Amino acid sequence: MSNGLPSVPVSLPQARTAARPFGLTYANRLRLAGFLFVLPALFHFALFKFYPMAQALLLSFFRYDLMSSPEFTGLGNYRALYENPLFHQALGVSVKYTLGVAIPEWFLALGLALLLNRAMPGRGLIRLAYFLPIAMSQIVVALVWKFLYHPHGLVNGLLAAVGIGRINWLSEEMTALPALIAIGVWRGAPLFAVVYLAGLQAIPRDYYEAAAMDGAGLWQRFRWITLPLLRPTMLFVMVMSLLMAMKVFTNPLVMTEGGPNGTTRVLPYFIYETGFAFFRMGEAAAASSILFGLALLFTLVQFRLLRRGLA
Amino acid sequence: MNARTRGRVLGWVVTLLTVAGAAFVLLPYFWMISSSFKTQDAIFRLPLEWMPRAPRWQNYPAALGRFPFGTYFFNSTVMALAVMAGNLFFGSLAAYGLAKFRFPLRELCFRAMLSTLMLPLEILLVPTFLVVRQLGLLDSYGGLIIPLAVDAFGIFLMRQYITDLPDSLIEAARLDGCTEFGIYWRIVLPNCRPALAALAVLSFRENWDQFLWPLVIISKEALKTFPLGLAQFEGFHSASYHEMMAAAAVGMIPMILLFLLFQRAFVRGLTLTGLKE
Repeated sequence: MSNGLPSVPVSLPQARTAARPFGLTYANRLRLAGFLFVLPALFHFALFKFYPMAQALLLSFFRYDLMSSPEFTGLGNYRALYENPLFHQALGVSVKYTLGVAIPEWFLALGLALLLNRAMPGRGLIRLAYFLPIAMSQIVVALVWKFLYHPHGLVNGLLAAVGIGRINWLSEEMTALPALIAIGVWRGAPLFAVVYLAGLQAIPRDYYEAAAMDGAGLWQRFRWITLPLLRPTMLFVMVMSLLMAMKVFTNPLVMTEGGPNGTTRVLPYFIYETGFAFFRMGEAAAASSILFGLALLFTLVQFRLLRRGLA
Repeated sequence: MNARTRGRVLGWVVTLLTVAGAAFVLLPYFWMISSSFKTQDAIFRLPLEWMPRAPRWQNYPAALGRFPFGTYFFNSTVMALAVMAGNLFFGSLAAYGLAKFRFPLRELCFRAMLSTLMLPLEILLVPTFLVVRQLGLLDSYGGLIIPLAVDAFGIFLMRQYITDLPDSLIEAARLDGCTEFGIYWRIVLPNCRPALAALAVLSFRENWDQFLWPLVIISKEALKTFPLGLAQFEGFHSASYHEMMAAAAVGMIPMILLFLLFQRAFVRGLTLTGLKE
């Protein structure tokens, strides 16, 4: 449209407006068409995202058990959460899990991408091996790792070979959450390595060659070429890794049922339990709103930090 | 040792480390498959038995016979295919509208849609459940499929791709008298095959795998999905790890096939969204 030749787009539509279907000008017909293309998706989001979000906020001020009609309680649900030590625990567990998974992922994924970007024999196969965990289904991961962490399982079997005694990984308060964090990293790091790898491959080779010619070492090239040019990829990886870790649910449910003593009861699990096991829908909605606030906070802080880094 | 040989030795060491890392990443799968062919006693035996002494094929029929896994498999496939179709169609449709048209509030529409990336089902679990209940879709295929059938990620991915399609392509079709929907269907869609393939693979993977949503809205045995079936197996026969690993290995097959067949589309999908701002 904006090709700098005003006469062309003006004269052509005029020929078409002669008929004027529905009494619309050509430009307005195009606007309408564009809007109609977006409409089905917009309608879906309104029904399954925005309306539920509004309803969750509203519901968080009511007491509701799915059977009797909702009863207004004001800030009652939030007060109940505030006074519920299990909620405080879940909030803490979620923050620990999310940061515990995401931060190692940032470094491991970048390191892995740098390794896989080198020329080496059988690179295609090696990449495939690293990327297979991405294809793995959540529930299969949960069952396989529960088996690996079994007191008589592979992890303890391997540790026994180096003389470390048996640890009951998923039943000890000290080890249950770190055990789940390890799975999250094992699964997430390769995923984000793929993203970094694409970012690395988008950097023109000439930059490195020119820098090498000027005598820049390996570290200098990484610091002054790779890192700055990877900024957009980094932002994407940071936000997505946090959001992904924040919504973990299958592993705590299948592997530990939130135990031992709630040390793996993350917020999504707390919400599920409050809503669908105890039927306290209002309280679950209040907890959802808080989880959403947390997601928003993480995202905004990172945008801020990286924007400042770019400037 | 001169600098060049030192560099080559270092290169080989790093390569070996990379391979060792890959082996470490794959170890859980290897152990799963190896254990699925063992007896119940052998899976926990020390010293570790890396290969089963005499492979017990009967673990597979025994495991799959415990629950109607055929039905679960079918349900997961139907759900994943239907959600994928919805994502491809509505996602590309909306993406085309957002990428190539100007209308009031377009930017706002896009931002509002994108912001739903922060509203996964895990957060909207309770209210989405209530909406689906109001629509009378609990315990139905519709309830499984419809809430997931449009996704912001798909719109974002497709929009990135369609924005780069030349405008001249679309205008030429318009001059030839093609209808607006005809342009989308006959010009835009065929030209985004790579992006569509990438979205298809990612969407199928994610939705074959759905666990929390079916867990909340499905109670009928005939509508359960494969992940629900596996979780149920774990709940009822938690000691039979050899059979559980057999069932899990079967559940892994569609994912592995998909990944091996469409590895490039997979990787492209992950990168299409990450490369550009």
